[in-house]
Amino acid sequence: MKTGLLWLPLFAVPLVLHNDVALTILVFTFILGILAVSFNLIFGYTGQLSMFHAAAFGIGAYATPLAMDHLGVSFWIGMGIAVLAVTAISLVVGTICFRFRLKEFYFAIVTLAFSEMARLIILNWSSFTNGSLGINLTSKPMLWVPGGAMAIDGTRNWYYLSLVSLIATVMLCTRVVHSWMGRCFAAIRLNDELADTLGINVFRYKLVSFLIGNAGAAVAGALYGFYLGYIEPAYLSIDQSLAIVAMVLLGGRGTVAGPIFGAFILTSLPHVINFSAEMRVLVYGLILVFTILAMPKGIAGAIARRPLAL
Amino acid sequence: MVQLIVGQLLNGVIIGTLYGIIALGVTLTFGITGIVNFALGAFMAIGAYAGWYFTDVLGIAYPLAVPLAVLVAALFGLLSDQALFRFTRNNLINGLIVSIGLISVIQSVLLMVWTTTPKNMHYVLPGVVRFDLFIVPKMKGVVFLVLLAVILMTYAALTRTWTGRAAYAYAQAPEAAKLMGVRTGLLQSGVVVYSTALAGLGGALYASLYSLEVSMGSSYILKGVEAAILAGIGSVMGSLVGGIVLGVTEAIGSIFLPQAYRDAYGLVFLVLILLFRPSGLFVRER
Amino acid sequence: MQNAVRRSDRRLVTFAAAFTLVMAFELAPAHSQEVVKVGEIEAQTGSLNTYGWMSAQGVRMAVDEINKAGGFEVAGKKYKLELLNPDTQGNPQQALIELKKMLEEQHVRFVFGPFLTNIYKGIEPYATGFDGKFLLIGGATAIHFDLTKPRHGYLMRSWNWDAGPSGFGSLMVANLKQRGAKKVAMLMQNDAFGHVARDIYADLFKKAGIAFDEEWFEPGTTDFSSVLAKIAAGAPDYLFPGYTDAVLYDIVRQATELGLTKFWLVRGSLGPGLKNKDAIEDYVIYIPKYFEEAQNSEPKVKKFIDEYKAFYKTDFPYDQAPLCSSSCYDQVFMLVEAMEKADTVDDVAKVKQALMSMTYHGVWNIRYDRTGEEIFNFDVVDIKKGGKIEVTHFNPE
Repeated sequence: MKTGLLWLPLFAVPLVLHNDVALTILVFTFILGILAVSFNLIFGYTGQLSMFHAAAFGIGAYATPLAMDHLGVSFWIGMGIAVLAVTAISLVVGTICFRFRLKEFYFAIVTLAFSEMARLIILNWSSFTNGSLGINLTSKPMLWVPGGAMAIDGTRNWYYLSLVSLIATVMLCTRVVHSWMGRCFAAIRLNDELADTLGINVFRYKLVSFLIGNAGAAVAGALYGFYLGYIEPAYLSIDQSLAIVAMVLLGGRGTVAGPIFGAFILTSLPHVINFSAEMRVLVYGLILVFTILAMPKGIAGAIARRPLAL
Repeated sequence: MVQLIVGQLLNGVIIGTLYGIIALGVTLTFGITGIVNFALGAFMAIGAYAGWYFTDVLGIAYPLAVPLAVLVAALFGLLSDQALFRFTRNNLINGLIVSIGLISVIQSVLLMVWTTTPKNMHYVLPGVVRFDLFIVPKMKGVVFLVLLAVILMTYAALTRTWTGRAAYAYAQAPEAAKLMGVRTGLLQSGVVVYSTALAGLGGALYASLYSLEVSMGSSYILKGVEAAILAGIGSVMGSLVGGIVLGVTEAIGSIFLPQAYRDAYGLVFLVLILLFRPSGLFVRER
Repeated sequence: MQNAVRRSDRRLVTFAAAFTLVMAFELAPAHSQEVVKVGEIEAQTGSLNTYGWMSAQGVRMAVDEINKAGGFEVAGKKYKLELLNPDTQGNPQQALIELKKMLEEQHVRFVFGPFLTNIYKGIEPYATGFDGKFLLIGGATAIHFDLTKPRHGYLMRSWNWDAGPSGFGSLMVANLKQRGAKKVAMLMQNDAFGHVARDIYADLFKKAGIAFDEEWFEPGTTDFSSVLAKIAAGAPDYLFPGYTDAVLYDIVRQATELGLTKFWLVRGSLGPGLKNKDAIEDYVIYIPKYFEEAQNSEPKVKKFIDEYKAFYKTDFPYDQAPLCSSSCYDQVFMLVEAMEKADTVDDVAKVKQALMSMTYHGVWNIRYDRTGEEIFNFDVVDIKKGGKIEVTHFNPE
């Protein structure tokens, strides 16, 4: 895997760059990158516009600390439980949607409906989730290194944890995309009726794509919650879902790693535009609109198309 | 109890027409241009703020201010169509993102001009009408009647005039319609502008009932999309009924169940309908 | 196909590196002399911006005014204020990054805000690491519970507390009982403040022997008629409604249409009550400053109103906005006065000491209790049918 070497410079960034703010932006980029890359499996590769991604992210973020509290397990096992929980919920939602052959916009709206229901439940189930007040997460993930346990704390540790998780996600998704499964995804995206006549089990592969993608979102949620140290029902908001779609479209849905770009731009943009509050929202909207109009394939697509870019 | 239920049934119907007018815009835009204009909620806000501005600040009589506000919304609609939506025809995803970007733009401009302070129009027609079993605020009744009339007129225009039939034909079979001499570009722009005008009308009427905030349209566009899908994309009368079904579900749901879950009641209903009638309530399965 | 993907991957990495470098320059600190930097972390846009936007207005005005007057003098040196007021959009991630910028790159020692509980909770783990190095003066309800915790000496709460000895909760409930109320229905926004208010008042109602029902609504709701019809069917004596003008106009109008005419402990302006003055029977507002009256009796209020008009080139909005703006406006002046008293612009502990031991007489009368929570004078305004207004002034001990 020669492409793997391309990640190496990123490992050196904290050694050269001592700017905590820039590193923080990168940590959020990596974690949201996991979210965007995993979403792209469902959206970019299988062609299903799921609006359930924020819910998977949010449920992952809530399930991890709740499992840790109620079952007394470590962060990693908590995250595993969260991934299982999200996969189980996705199995139900996905089965309903795909069994009833909901497509395109209908699929988007029904997944949105499930996502909203999940948000309302987390918001109103105060005894379990602390409702609108959210939960502060004070514990830190522990890592066993030679010589004892080490708490993952501080921007630099989180930088490496999130980077490694992102690389793992990208590698996993790359493998999936280039496998037989990935070809089935592509066939479904291009024409699912044709895929069906070719003998591809459309229901099964749509569901598999939905499950893998949402499991990735659950991991992202767990990391995000513990890095920020606070979880709230807004993790599951429609705005969050739309932000993920925007990340993927800005970055480009044609490549596995493209969405990371979108995550980077949406994370850093608010902190580099130096305008008044209202003006910033305006500029943000204009950038979104004109990027899509000027680069319909996203930034990665635009770079790949022109041989001499950069 | 009977009183409560009857009153809320009626209330749901009235609020449902407001969802219905947005749903109509959604359904028309989707049928003719292949995108869902999520910014219709923001156009509703434009209509509402314009309506409030003309009535309360400029002192124009409300019945005259409403058409002016509709005109303002339609002008912005035309502008957005020529600058943006022209390039996203039949591209659902790009259209979605462009309309979301447009929401940011419209909201920030409204904020810059009128700030976050809620605007509350003077009461155009205060008071209620009392019946045996229920109470209807007068203005709500008027809004209901106006919206109903506009939706019915739209239906009549689409079925009885040449342009309307051309639009219908185009939605069914674009290529054939083109061969029959339907001017596609004009038709598509016309529908985008008309849907923003409908949203503007919804907003201008909304302003007489509720206080205005810049983000007011965001829940209405969701309800509009839900209603359009509930009815089945492409059905004009369906979008009205879809809106009403949604409004009634929420109103009745809020009586028997906690109000905090109000938005979920319509969604549960929508999911159930879609599972058993995937093409919606009013569109025949093909 | 695969080669193309890899090539584009490589370009992506180069692009990322370039962008990071550009950003590192963008974020590079800029120093200047004789300037005290004050920060503000508030949501000025987004769906939860009511309070943040208002306070940003007040702070901006105060900084401008202080600088136009030539700044202030501490230990023989002239200083001006430099305001950093990024918009969080109600998003904890953005707030955290902006606070990091302030504390680590701009070396800001005094930060106003936030009003939003989720923002406070999002920045709290990080901010606690800077205990003793800066002051965070914010209004969020969640700050109340952290004021006395160890390692939270950086916190001060810029709003008063309903339940405390200097609060007004028990006073208001006693007053409600005097009005003969036996049953109250609460209709609250489903957010952090709403839940804290429920916890405080459910307890006070119980002690006073008043029955109590609760209903919640999602922020952004405008049609309350179904839930109000349900409440009206239970025939409560008073309605205890949400807390921003945006929802109050709608709640009051729709409630009166359904025959609910008595409102208690309304927070917001007099606007919704006066607008429906012929439909209401009793409308009890807790209001920190009744501007319409105070502008005639208090020169400082008059001055604030005139300056507001000149600065923003608009009419003065007699609604909820100036309440919060004026309080945050005062807090900037109070901070400057504290720096002058403490004779330092960078010793955070001394400035906090000065803030805690003074009373500032501005548009409001502001002081802090020993936990660092604000105490201020407030008014209770009672609107009766037809618009007759009775004002009671309170100056808590």
